[in-house]
Amino acid sequence: MLLRASGEHDEVEHDFDAIVAARGNAESVPDAGLLSDFADAAIDGNAARLWATRERVLEALGSAALTDTAATVAIFNAVVKVADATGIPIEDYKIEPTLDLRAELGIDEFGQAHS
Amino acid sequence: MTSEPLDYSRARWPIRADLTSAHQRAWQRLGAPGTWLTGQQRVAVAAEVRAAPACARCHRLAAALSPFSEPDGKHTVATGLPDTWIDVIHRVRNDAARLTDAWYERVIADGLRPQEYVEIVGVLATVVAVDSFCDALSIDRHALPEPIPGEPPRVFPANARAGLARVPTLAPEDVTDAEADLYKGLSGANIHRALSLVPAEVLGFFDIDSVMYLPDRQLRDFAHEPRAISHAQIEFVAARVSALNNCFY
Repeated sequence: MLLRASGEHDEVEHDFDAIVAARGNAESVPDAGLLSDFADAAIDGNAARLWATRERVLEALGSAALTDTAATVAIFNAVVKVADATGIPIEDYKIEPTLDLRAELGIDEFGQAHS
Repeated sequence: MTSEPLDYSRARWPIRADLTSAHQRAWQRLGAPGTWLTGQQRVAVAAEVRAAPACARCHRLAAALSPFSEPDGKHTVATGLPDTWIDVIHRVRNDAARLTDAWYERVIADGLRPQEYVEIVGVLATVVAVDSFCDALSIDRHALPEPIPGEPPRVFPANARAGLARVPTLAPEDVTDAEADLYKGLSGANIHRALSLVPAEVLGFFDIDSVMYLPDRQLRDFAHEPRAISHAQIEFVAARVSALNNCFY
């Protein structure tokens, strides 16, 4: 996950808690609320909600952005299954720099059920 | 379902040509003999992946404190695949975050080879990626390909080792001539190694990953934005999807 690295490049600090809590108010990311709503609707699969959210993305960001957002949602919906099915661990070199982030996101709590 | 060949010509707006091409390649691989599974088995796995979200047992298990609370339960199946395969497909499709090493060991003890497990996961991931894309845009899902006859070679990397993950993996430094292109264009990060017991699944999955997400070389090239959404937006969406899936990686 390179959101932190992206933030460092852009000299902004992202609100990772907003990502997990679905508040959609990570103000450092343009259109975060809209993108979060679309990702939530796409994963949830509620057709009416997805349709409404997609139209909002289309109107605000355009068809190319909608396509790329859908592609990102779709591939990460698969990547997470590869990671979880194979039990692949996070790299050692990523652990120390992401300790605070992992605690903030509650990610370590996800992993405790795996052993 | 749309009919063959796979295309996005009926979408409400143009779909990037590289996305269409990558999905076409993925569908061709799906129907062809793999490394350990026949084309028929790969297409059957894909069909079961599509049916799994409607499984009544999986719905009950998802709501249960333990995903293993119905040891004698039966999944609602769509294919004639063996029970062990069905359990793998349904659990990875519907509740992957709660899989355990103990469950995996039971699956292997029941006769599923680790290589078969990895290829099943690779097929599943491909179908989930392409179907999720279609679903997100309300494009009809593509008809599954006709299986191509032929026997899989059933080979695996000689230097694959246990230890890193639940499944044996091949480290970049252990690659031999037989897998020379395995990590070409990839950093060899752990997620790249996840399916490396079956190198063709790494190549296939990251063929679509590089087009749907970003090529590895562009991951940290924050000065250039190759997509219609920015690096920050892409990573935000990726993080949100990971969180929704309770993914620990």
